[in-house]
Amino acid sequence: MSGTLRAGLRLAGSGWAVRGWAGRRRLSQAAAAEGGGAEGGGGGSGSGSGSREAVERLVRAHPVVVFMKGSPAQPLCGFSNAVVQILRLHGVEDYRAHDVLQDPDLRQGIKNYSNWPTIPQVYLNGEFVGGCDILLQMHQNGDLVEELKKLGIRSALLDAEKDQDKK
Amino acid sequence: MPRPPLTAAGRALSAVAERPLAGAIRAKLDAALQPSHLQVLDESPRHGGPPGAETHFAVVVVSGRFAGLSPLQRHRLVHAALSAELAGPLHALAIVARTPEQWDADPRVPPRPPCLGGSKHERRGAAVDATASA
Repeated sequence: MSGTLRAGLRLAGSGWAVRGWAGRRRLSQAAAAEGGGAEGGGGGSGSGSGSREAVERLVRAHPVVVFMKGSPAQPLCGFSNAVVQILRLHGVEDYRAHDVLQDPDLRQGIKNYSNWPTIPQVYLNGEFVGGCDILLQMHQNGDLVEELKKLGIRSALLDAEKDQDKK
Repeated sequence: MPRPPLTAAGRALSAVAERPLAGAIRAKLDAALQPSHLQVLDESPRHGGPPGAETHFAVVVVSGRFAGLSPLQRHRLVHAALSAELAGPLHALAIVARTPEQWDADPRVPPRPPCLGGSKHERRGAAVDATASA
């Protein structure tokens, strides 16, 4: 993804929402030892922000939920940025984005929950859809437009096509 | 801050032999998926890693084992084959997973996005900036 897309950054009306983590308890003993920034390792906790119950609440909170590094306004990882840019191309600006770099419990918990070893992770209607590679594929083959339609979200690309047809 | 790119000499040295993790990835994918085509690309230098870091990889796996499987199922097969590596030093993994027919029809590999620093930005225990929507 190039600087051009980033330059086109704009926050539409409702923008994006990040759940307020301030004040949430973190179980210190559950912080995974990740050494050198590796994504692997054990961890996860019984009742902290990375528990199955907590993650379940997050993925069900909104039709489109993304676990990423950084935020949609400032992604801190190229793969996470790719997810943000793809959603933006489809006009999806209202979604829940969770920065796993802010919460080691969540970072491990989301991997346990989906049994998926990497970040970013995209959930549509509470269901894990995949990471950046899969979202890109879905974008390129038209599946993403269809999946968004099922959620009652009209992809901006449909309107872009319509405009093109008119010219 | 990302490290400066490798010099030509550095790149040449890195390219000489497939390093241990790359070799392990190749061996495990060969064993699990019997690919007709397999590329194991060490992208670590593009993510600020020093020469030989072996942390970020992209794999292009072409295998009949993927027939009838969704992208998610295909990627899970690849993850399963590399579970030990992913629990260890393998930090990031970009995956292209196609059947031989799909590969013949389209042998292009999408470029991976540029690094934006990733976990170097991690702030353990830091207060969170919570931004609410309007």
